[in-house]
Amino acid sequence: MEHWIYTTTILGHSFSFNLDTIFTMWFAMICLIVFAFIATRRLSVVPGKLQAFCEKIMGFFWGTMDTMIPERNKQHVPLVASLFLFILFANLMGQLPLRIIHIKQGELASPTNDINLTAAMAVIVLIYYLGAGIMKKGPKFFLHDFSFTSIVMALVELLEMVTRPLSLAIRLFANVFAGEILISIALGACAYFAPLPIMLFEILVAFIQATVFMMLTIAYIGSATGEEH
Amino acid sequence: MEQSLQLAQLGAGIAIGFGAIGAGLGIGFATKGLMDAVSRQPEVAGKAFGFFLLGAALSEACALYAFVVAFMLLGK
Repeated sequence: MEHWIYTTTILGHSFSFNLDTIFTMWFAMICLIVFAFIATRRLSVVPGKLQAFCEKIMGFFWGTMDTMIPERNKQHVPLVASLFLFILFANLMGQLPLRIIHIKQGELASPTNDINLTAAMAVIVLIYYLGAGIMKKGPKFFLHDFSFTSIVMALVELLEMVTRPLSLAIRLFANVFAGEILISIALGACAYFAPLPIMLFEILVAFIQATVFMMLTIAYIGSATGEEH
Repeated sequence: MEQSLQLAQLGAGIAIGFGAIGAGLGIGFATKGLMDAVSRQPEVAGKAFGFFLLGAALSEACALYAFVVAFMLLGK
């Protein structure tokens, strides 16, 4: 899919922005922020419907954290929860009829069909789990002791620092992108009802991919801060 | 030029085909594991299905890497 690329020069370097991704990303973020604002405005001891729903969501995050990181896991919940909710909103946005708004190039679809966004999120996860591991263990995070096996394992870990964000980014991007290609192929075959089951499947994929991203983030943080690392 | 485009299309087809083999095997094994678990302990069906979806998504991602490569080949 083409993007609406805007190129500008700042301080002698040329930067290009994918404007459609930026618009849809801000749309998803504003939806999320408004939802969070409305949900936390009037908190009461006896929860209303919306508050009970949000407490269910937070309970889901806490339960998942408890199963994968045994102790002191509440500090990681903000990052993980916002990643999950943002990816979920962003993926589900792809099924909204935003494409009827015509822009100069490309189209308004879910922002996660741009690899730049998913790569940015993957780099955030990389920095976060490296930071969490260094805060927990100090310089021992990189090397326990000077034995042969630990040096080899440190090299493997160094390789993993590249492959983990790469696979995170490409997985999310490729799922959303493949879904859009599939829908456009079905549209070409029969425009009226053929894309409908695929779009329903894409809603399932949106939930699964958000969960997978969250689970892998938790697993990486857990392996960085755990003892057996 | 014409020939290189044809070769790129051939390469794209081969890439997605071999990628799909691995993903199909992976999802098949995951389904087998789910069936085994559910037939042994029917009460864990809900929990096992969640893990199954996670594993299926992870192995499906391998086919999607091949898809991305195929698309890059076609997009030349």
